[in-house]
Amino acid sequence: MSETHTIALMPSGRRGDAPHGAALLDAARALGVEIESICGGRQTCGKCQIVVEEGNFPKHGLASAPNHLTPMSAAEAAWLAEHGIAGRRLACACQVVGDLLITVPEESQARKQIIAKAATDRAIEIDPAVRWVYVKVEEPTMDSHGGDWERLQKALADQWALTNLTIDSVVLPTLQPALKQGKHKATVTLWHDREVLRVEPGYKDGAYGVAVDIGSTTVVLHLCDLRTGAVLATEAAMNPQVRYGEDLMSRVSYCMMEPQGLARMHRAILVALNELAGKAAARAGLTTDDIMDAALVGNPVMHHLLLGIDPVELGGAPFALAVSESVDLKARDLNLKFHPAARVHVLPCIAGFVGADNMAVQLAEAPHQQDELILIIDVGTNAEIVLGNRDGVLCASSPTGPAFEGAQITHGQRAAPGAIERVRIDPLTLEPRWKVIGFDDWIAPSDSIPESARATGICGSGIIEVVAEMFVSGITDADGRFDENGGERSPRIRFNGRAGEYVLVDESQTATGQPIVVKQTDVRAIQLAKAALYAGTKLLMRHRGVTAVDKVLLAGAFGSYIDPKYAMILGLIPDCDLERVMAVGNAAGDGARIALLNKGQRLEALRLSRWVQHVQTATDANFQTEFVNAMALPHAADAFPHLAGLIPQRPAAGGNGRRSQRRRAVTAPAS
Amino acid sequence: MSDELDYSNIPTDELIQQMQDDLYDGMVNEVVAGTNELLGRGLTPYDVLTKALVGGMDIVGADFRDGILFVPEVLMAAKAMKAGMEILRPLLAETGAQQIGTMIIGTVKGDIHDIGKNLVAMMMEGAGFKVVNLGINNDADKFLSAVREHTPDIVGMSALLTTTMPYMETVIKALKEQGLRDKVIVLVGGAPLNEAFAEEIEADAYCRDAAVAVETAKKLISIKRSKS
Repeated sequence: MSETHTIALMPSGRRGDAPHGAALLDAARALGVEIESICGGRQTCGKCQIVVEEGNFPKHGLASAPNHLTPMSAAEAAWLAEHGIAGRRLACACQVVGDLLITVPEESQARKQIIAKAATDRAIEIDPAVRWVYVKVEEPTMDSHGGDWERLQKALADQWALTNLTIDSVVLPTLQPALKQGKHKATVTLWHDREVLRVEPGYKDGAYGVAVDIGSTTVVLHLCDLRTGAVLATEAAMNPQVRYGEDLMSRVSYCMMEPQGLARMHRAILVALNELAGKAAARAGLTTDDIMDAALVGNPVMHHLLLGIDPVELGGAPFALAVSESVDLKARDLNLKFHPAARVHVLPCIAGFVGADNMAVQLAEAPHQQDELILIIDVGTNAEIVLGNRDGVLCASSPTGPAFEGAQITHGQRAAPGAIERVRIDPLTLEPRWKVIGFDDWIAPSDSIPESARATGICGSGIIEVVAEMFVSGITDADGRFDENGGERSPRIRFNGRAGEYVLVDESQTATGQPIVVKQTDVRAIQLAKAALYAGTKLLMRHRGVTAVDKVLLAGAFGSYIDPKYAMILGLIPDCDLERVMAVGNAAGDGARIALLNKGQRLEALRLSRWVQHVQTATDANFQTEFVNAMALPHAADAFPHLAGLIPQRPAAGGNGRRSQRRRAVTAPAS
Repeated sequence: MSDELDYSNIPTDELIQQMQDDLYDGMVNEVVAGTNELLGRGLTPYDVLTKALVGGMDIVGADFRDGILFVPEVLMAAKAMKAGMEILRPLLAETGAQQIGTMIIGTVKGDIHDIGKNLVAMMMEGAGFKVVNLGINNDADKFLSAVREHTPDIVGMSALLTTTMPYMETVIKALKEQGLRDKVIVLVGGAPLNEAFAEEIEADAYCRDAAVAVETAKKLISIKRSKS
C-alpha cells in the first residue's frame, strides 16, 4: 500500500510522513525521534509509552485521533492494566493507520532534551522575605491574660522587636501543640516580619524556597536554602502547556477557542511546578512541606496562565496586561503543594510582551546600576531587548518567530542529542565540518562515525553558524542569495531550478538516511528572524540617541549556545568588541533567585517596572526601514569595524552595484 | 548617472528587455528613462506598462517566490516600478485604459504588524493594480466603509498573530451581512495562516507571500470577469 500519513512528534516538533501500517516505533525513529525500548517490542518493559493527542492541529496540518493507531492487542491492554496506566499506548505495539500528533513523555525519550539549567554564581545579598527566629514564650498560669498567640506576640516583641504581627489561620491549630512539645521554646517562621507562617517546637534550623522561571518551552526550578542562599537542587522540565500550543500566541488562541483552555493550561503548569518541587525537595533530602516561599517569573502569557488570568487581552493590540505590579499570594491559593502557609511572590511585568522574566533578567544584570551602556538580548520566539545604564533603561520586544529554534528550517530541530550545533566551512574547498550534540569530536564528511554521532538535524546555534559560514565562504552573498556559479566551486552547492541549496551532511552520516541541506528559503527565514531582532535593537539605540553599545549580553538558553562571533557576522547583534559580547545563561532564573533571597530586590523590581521605558517597535515609523536594512549580512548600512577581516568586503553600495545580479546574466530554464 | 543614459540606439525589443532587467535591479533612473524613451517611440502607455514594467515585475515576483530575490531587492524593484507608473498613470487615465483592478488591503483588528502587508501592496501596485492601503488594526467597519467607498475587486486581509487571525472571519461575515461578499474577492495572508484556515472562514484564497498574492489576484479576477 502506498498510502502515507503525517506524523508530528512532541516535544521535538519533528514531523514527516510514514507509510500506512508502519510500526510507530520505526516511524518515529525514521523521523529522528528515538523512543526508549528495552524489551525490544515484546510489550514487557513498558518504556515506550506515548500519548496520542486528540483533535485538530492546523499548525501541524493534521487531525489526530486514538483510532489512527491500530487497536490495542490483548498483550498491550494487559500490560497497561497491570500497571494502572490509562491514556497511553506502547509505541512498540501499534501501527500507523492515520495522521497523528504524538507526545513522547520525558521518561520515554531515549535522547532526552538538553536544558541549560546550571545556576550561575552571582553575588546575592541574603536578606529573604522569609526568615525565622527562636523565642522563649511565657508559660501560661491561672492568672495569665490572653492566649498563647498573645504570649507568642509578646515574646516576639520583647526578644526580636517584632510587632504588628498576624498569624496564618492554618498555623493557629499548631500553636499550642508546638509550644507544649518545645517546652515553650519555639522557632517561628515569618514573612516580611509581618506574618507568622510556621511555629515549630524548640530550635529548628532551616527554611527553604524555590525560584522558578516559567518559560514557554522549559520550566526551571531552583530549590534554595533561605539562610545560606545555596542552590540545593535544580530541576527542569518541558512546559506541559506545549501540547496546547507551541508558542505563546497559540496558547492565547487556545484560550480563545476552547472554553476549558485556560483551566487546562493553568492546571498543567501547577501540576508541573508541584512535580518539579517534589523532585527538587527529594534530591535535597527534604519534603515540599519545607518550602516556605517561592519567587516566580515568566513572560506575560505564562504569568497570566500561572495566576489563572485569561491572557486573551495579550493576544491583540493594545496587548493590555491584567496586572503589571508584583503579586503576593499564598501557595495554597494556587494549589501549590508547599507548606500550607507558604508564600508566593510573582515578579512584575513591564508590557504586553515584556514580562516578569525580563524583569528578572534586569535584576540579575542590573544595567540600571552601571555606567556602561549595556544591551541585553533574550532570544526566543519572541525576543526581548533591553538597552540602558544608570541614566535610563529602555526595553522592547521583537517578533523573531521560531526560526532560531529550528522551526521553519528544512532540517531544523530543537537542541537535543543528534542536532548539529557547530559548523565550519573551508573557504576554499567549501567542505564542511560540524559538531553534533552528544558527540565530542568535530566530524568531517569522510569520517566514519558511530551511530550516536549521526546527525538528526540542525539546531539554532548550528543554523546561525552554517548561515554565517556560508556567507563568509561566499556560498551566499551579503544579500543572502546563493552564488549562481557556486555549483562550479563545489558539488555541495546544488540548484533546484534557480534556488540554491548547500549539502551540509551527506546521507551516509545522518540518522535519517537523508542528506541534511540548507536551502535558500532557510537562509531567508534566518534573515527575517535576525532582521526583526536587529531592527528592534536599532530602534532602542535610536531612542537613546547612540550608535554603539559598550557591552552585549546574551541571555537565555539559546544565548549560551550561540557563538558571539557568528551572531555578529550574521548581524543578529550590533557591532561591538567581541570580547565584550557574552552569554549570561539563564539570567531570568538568576533574577528569580535574587528575588527569592532578597526582599529589597523585590521592591527594586517593582520600582524598575515603573521606571523602565517600554518602546513599541512594530508601530515605530522607522521600523520598516530598519527591518529591511537589517536583512543583509551583517547589515546593509551599518558598519561592523570589529568584524574587519572576518567577513567579505561588501561591494560598493548603490543601485548600479546590482547589475551583477541581472536576470539576463543567468540563462534560466523557462519556468 | 541619469543624464548619461542614452537609449535611443537600442532597438525597441531589446529596450523592453533592458527595462525589465533595470526594474529587476531596482534602478529608478533607468526605468524612468526607458519609460520616456518607449513613449517617445509611440508605444501606447498601456503597452509600456504591460510589456516593460509588469513584465519585469512578473520576473521579480517569480524570483521572490523562489527565495532568489528577497524583501530588500523586491522593495527596490517596486520603487523603480512606482517611478515608471508615475509617468504612465496620468496617460493611462487619459486614454481610458482599463485598470487591472482595485484592491483594498489592511491588517485586521488587534494586529499592528504590517511589513508583510505593505510588501503585498507594493507588489500589487507593481502588477498594475490600484491599491488602497488601510494600514493596521482595522475593524470590520473600516473594511466595510472602504469597500463602499472604493468598490474594490479585491479585499486583502493580513495578520501576523494566531490570536488576531480569527478576526478575518468577523470581517467576512460582516461583508456577507451587508450583501457585499459576492462583489469582492477576499484574499488573506500572514505567518500563522494556511489554506485550510482560508477555506474555513470562506475567504477566496490564502496567499503564502506577496508573489503568490499577485498571481492569485490576477487569476481570480480573470475568472470573475469571464463569468460576468
